[in-house]
Amino acid sequence: MSGASTDPPVTAREADARVAVDVKALQAAGRLEAARERFAELVTRHQRRAARIAFHYLRDAADADEAVQDAFIKAYMHLGTFREELPFEVWFTRILINGCLDRLKARRRRERWIAPPIIDASGNERDPGEYLPARGPSPEEEVLAGERREQLSAALAKLPERQRLVFVLSHFEGRSSREVSTMTGLNESTVRVHLFRAIRRLRALLASGAASKASNLRGRTNRAAR
Amino acid sequence: MRLADVIVRGGHLSEQAIVAAVMTGDRPAHLDRCDLCAERAVELGRWLDGVKTTGLETADAAFSPERLAAQQSQIMRRLEQLDEPARVIAFPSQSQLRRESTGRRVAAGWLGVAAAAGLVLGVISGQMTARLGMHQAPAAAARTAPATQPAAAPVNAPADDVAQKTGPIDASLLDMDLDSLNVPSFAVIDSMTPRATQISLASNRTIK
Repeated sequence: MSGASTDPPVTAREADARVAVDVKALQAAGRLEAARERFAELVTRHQRRAARIAFHYLRDAADADEAVQDAFIKAYMHLGTFREELPFEVWFTRILINGCLDRLKARRRRERWIAPPIIDASGNERDPGEYLPARGPSPEEEVLAGERREQLSAALAKLPERQRLVFVLSHFEGRSSREVSTMTGLNESTVRVHLFRAIRRLRALLASGAASKASNLRGRTNRAAR
Repeated sequence: MRLADVIVRGGHLSEQAIVAAVMTGDRPAHLDRCDLCAERAVELGRWLDGVKTTGLETADAAFSPERLAAQQSQIMRRLEQLDEPARVIAFPSQSQLRRESTGRRVAAGWLGVAAAAGLVLGVISGQMTARLGMHQAPAAAARTAPATQPAAAPVNAPADDVAQKTGPIDASLLDMDLDSLNVPSFAVIDSMTPRATQISLASNRTIK
């Protein structure tokens, strides 16, 4: 068909930039309802990714929920400062990470005075992520998957904050070292070092967790045999 | 291939190099030649894929589609509040208050007059009360003087000292007030206690 559109496909980055420019223009024109409607597109597009990052960084679903909301509100309010040459995703993720960091600091202050750390029988501090609400009864596979998730959450929780953040952005979100560097404000080489250390430590933690679980299982089987 | 890999690891890639190869996708030539390093890279890739799947599952389990929808509606509500802040109901204006209370309102000038009149009346009544008090005071003092004068001396002072300082004391005056009291529960103690009159007579006899 000769009348078919010949426009090149729009990348996600370009689409974001167009929406952001439109929202800015609508805000300037005082058409706030239309601006909000257009901004909702950005929310829909980036919400899940933002929720994942915040969840892995903060290790608490309610906190992550609030952090994501705050980040979108801030982005809407300060859209005037957004430069089109930078991907919206990177700009927004930086807002989100700064918000998460503030929440972590506030939580640490609160925990220092109010909540004593949870210590298990072996004297190790336990991860609050282990106390996430249960997802209800499920078949065996779901139980096993749940255990894997818990192990990973516990292992991720033991990583230093920066390593965890770099790992989540690089591996879960598939960002390059350069993008992670822009999002976090760290050097590219520092990002690579953090990523390598995070992977090495996670492997060690998950391997030791699996080994201790296997030895527990063996012990239980032996006791049952006797 | 780095020199360190050649010397320390017998030509094999370091862990960091394998991580970099897997994460960036830049495959070093060594991986095509060395089965051991290729196997390590594949194993690491599998492990990372597993971790990624589990990690995304964990986050998605915490953020169900319903929760994300609720979050989005909450964001839009907050944005709406931000753009159109709630209307503040104005406090009733001064004119409305005046209109409601015009019938009973007292002029400010009269309030001052009333306050001044109250002050003058207060001063006058105070003066009169003071003068009346001064007229009555000497008569009352005359009536009470004989009774109060001996009582001014210390009760537990020796009788001789009191006599030297204030002159001879009529001891019956000391007993007068005590006799007027008649508390039944103190009657026994009272009967055992010698009277000041008796003590005075006894001491006079001894001196003589």
